[in-house]
Amino acid sequence: MNIREHLNLRQVTIVAILAILVFLTLVPILFMIVSSLKSNAQILGNFWGLPAPARWGNYAEALNAIWRYILNTVGYAVAGSVCVMLLSAVSGYLFAKKTFPGKEVLFLMMLAIMMIPGILTLIPSYVLYENMGLTNTPWVIIVSSAAGGQIFGTFLCRTYMAGLPSELFEAARMDGAAELRVFLRIVVPLSLPILATLFIMQSVGVYNDYIWPLLTIRDSDLQVISVGLTIFTKQFGVTDLGTRFAAYAISSVPLLLIFSFGMKYYIQGMTQGALKM
Amino acid sequence: MRRTPWILLTLMLLLGVVPGAASAAEEWAIEGAGDITSINASEDGARLAVGTHGSKAVVFDKDGQALYEKPAKNVITDVALLDDGTLLAASDDRHLYAYDSAGGVRWDADMKRQVKSVSASNDGSVVAVVVQRSNELLFVNGQTGETTGSAAIGTVMKTVRVSGNGEWIVAAAADQFLHLVGKDGQVLRKFGAGGQIASIAVTDDGDTAVGTNANQVELFDAEGRKTASYGTRDSVSAVAFSNDGKLLGGADLSGNFYIFDRNGKKLWEEKEGQAGRAVEFAPDGKTLYAGTDDGRILKLDVGSVVKGAENEARMKTLLWTVAAAVIVAAIALLLFYMKKRNKLGIFREIWRAKWIYLGLAPSFLLIFVFLYYPAFSGLFHSLYKWQPGGTTTFIGLDNFKRMIHDPYVTKGFGNLLILIVTGLIKTLIPPLIVAELIYHLRSKKLQYGFRTAFTASMVIPAVAGLLIWQNFYDPNMGLFNNFLQLIGLGSWAHGWLGDPKTALWALIFIGFPFVGILQLLVFYAGLLAIPGELTESAKMDGANLWRIVRSIHLPMLSGQFKFLIILGLIGIIQDFNGIMIVTGGGPMDSTYVPALQMYYAATKFSDLGYASALGVSMFAVILAITIINMKFIKSADD
Repeated sequence: MNIREHLNLRQVTIVAILAILVFLTLVPILFMIVSSLKSNAQILGNFWGLPAPARWGNYAEALNAIWRYILNTVGYAVAGSVCVMLLSAVSGYLFAKKTFPGKEVLFLMMLAIMMIPGILTLIPSYVLYENMGLTNTPWVIIVSSAAGGQIFGTFLCRTYMAGLPSELFEAARMDGAAELRVFLRIVVPLSLPILATLFIMQSVGVYNDYIWPLLTIRDSDLQVISVGLTIFTKQFGVTDLGTRFAAYAISSVPLLLIFSFGMKYYIQGMTQGALKM
Repeated sequence: MRRTPWILLTLMLLLGVVPGAASAAEEWAIEGAGDITSINASEDGARLAVGTHGSKAVVFDKDGQALYEKPAKNVITDVALLDDGTLLAASDDRHLYAYDSAGGVRWDADMKRQVKSVSASNDGSVVAVVVQRSNELLFVNGQTGETTGSAAIGTVMKTVRVSGNGEWIVAAAADQFLHLVGKDGQVLRKFGAGGQIASIAVTDDGDTAVGTNANQVELFDAEGRKTASYGTRDSVSAVAFSNDGKLLGGADLSGNFYIFDRNGKKLWEEKEGQAGRAVEFAPDGKTLYAGTDDGRILKLDVGSVVKGAENEARMKTLLWTVAAAVIVAAIALLLFYMKKRNKLGIFREIWRAKWIYLGLAPSFLLIFVFLYYPAFSGLFHSLYKWQPGGTTTFIGLDNFKRMIHDPYVTKGFGNLLILIVTGLIKTLIPPLIVAELIYHLRSKKLQYGFRTAFTASMVIPAVAGLLIWQNFYDPNMGLFNNFLQLIGLGSWAHGWLGDPKTALWALIFIGFPFVGILQLLVFYAGLLAIPGELTESAKMDGANLWRIVRSIHLPMLSGQFKFLIILGLIGIIQDFNGIMIVTGGGPMDSTYVPALQMYYAATKFSDLGYASALGVSMFAVILAITIINMKFIKSADD
């Protein structure tokens, strides 16, 4: 009996500590939501109080200012992620299940890129895209995310596909299926979980990217949400703090959607990537 | 065979070292001259006429001896020297003067208005004159000074130039248009420049160079098509062709003088004085006369520059030929070797795998173009003064030397050390504690619930999170100062980000309580992987919780620690998003880091070579960390 009480007390303590930590971690989100419904006067006068009355108009004003950035970014993220999925699935499959001359060398070349940090290539990449006339177009985001993302993607796919039973492919081939058919009808459907992981990780990456779009996109109509959030106040003459917080809240919606559907895949990708390295 | 790459590398480096130096051989000053408004060299190069703002026209011989000096009653706006030694001088005193080779007056024509520009063919058969506020270009008889005809341009003009052979006459109008005029006064063509025209020059072939206030020198052919354009650092004040038309000289209002070749390449650039006003080539093309705003004429020996450029071009062709030959020879040798060893079968294999290569092609195309190329470009250009579109000069390790003396970099490096130490503590300790706490929860449901709750903070975009934290630090409306007031510590309220003493620590505190999701999940997964028997047997031996954590969990998690430390280090060295958004490196230099300085060097100061050098340095540090880590892991495994 004594031990049980002791244990219970300990469990309660743990829960309490964790609850406090969760609360502290989520303070920015809570603060954002509460403040997004206030006016400047309400924030100054009643800092700790709940918004009364709640100013939903803040959201309308914020949405009006940043919808364009969100739409752009979602477009770039989807396009870039689809490219990454295609490239990674093909390369991953070839590296996992095929033998051909130079396989090791080519794979090492991919491996070596992991050693090149982004900070070394940031400025020269900018010059390259500029010389190719790609800056200030959607391509500068899509191409760079496709080129960079496929490395990690190929690794993930290669490991995953290596685990698929080869007999399955052999059987299909014996039934007379062409290589392309085997890939599309067997490999891709079996690899959907890893492709979903890839898609989610890549989209979240593009959605959160800040420096690269800041460097390469000048046109406000093409800008992404990360940069948009730092400039929309000046662009649209927004002075209300509440509207600013409303914009931050709105910008979270795409991430909220993708995480509520694919949190499992995201965590899988994150931990798997961590273990692979 | 193995030496070939090194030879190629050496050759490539040598190419970069070709000297590009011009020396200011001499300079002549004219007393009380003020601006040099115009310079004109005679066709044979024996004489040089100079017009000055100080109302004097001076003729020098090629050694810089003043032959004669002629005063006017107002600014000399333009001068032209003819083959027979005649000097034509246009002045704002409304007269056009002609002097013979000895300095005697040949004629003096009253043009009724201020004369803004005069230009003549070498033989003096065509003399074109622009006068103030007139829509007509005037032609003057070089022998008598009488006005013989005119061309209707339809707008006021700034300047006129006649080619040496007299075939081409170009007038620059105030409305940014150029008018190509025939000898008979017919306007043949007109074409627009990209800015207000300050100066023009025309070759015997009818090619026109235009200097504009849009910091550009533009080149048009006789058909009026734009064939090239060159960027300068400031508004262009003067342009001139060499006699053979192959080189183009320019001056801008910041005192920079330039030489361009006809292919759009900048061969040379040098800063002399406050502002450049006039340029002229000597007929041999090896000397550039440069007129400044303080009455000096510099005689710049540019022969070596031009020769250097020619050499470079020749060397490049040679190098490419050699490289091509070497590659062909290498392939031939390799094939021969393989045939001898009977290994040619590999080609059959390669051919059989052609679809595989085709499948990998898109991936590797992207990898080579967008990942490997920039990486090598960065390594390479860190040794250069890098100006894309302009000249790129080899400067050895100067960029790296400069880094050591750059106060922003040294300050940034100190800040980075603080960030690394605090960052490692932040990424390791709180997630470990949380992982342990969750691990020790009995209820699976609670475990899952808390794990999800911590990951929930991911739904805020990273930038939005940073902006919210920035707002927390706001002196008036921020959460921190309000909280301090709430608990009665209002006197501690502070402009956290505005004070150089606290700004860095405010940045470090962002993200409190620092429960990193990746780190949490890695630690948690690591704890789950520890075999239960280990803990059970320890418990039986009477070990308490703290003892179990210290003696079993921590050693079993050493792999995770290593991984997270490396990942953390690499991340912290490269990351400047937060600093850029929240403080921008300020106040003063208190929150600079090297990565931020790199970004600013590239974007604010267009100093791409220096930025590359900073990038390369950080890459070197990261590489060192990775290598040490690999060695470390290896020795730990043994």
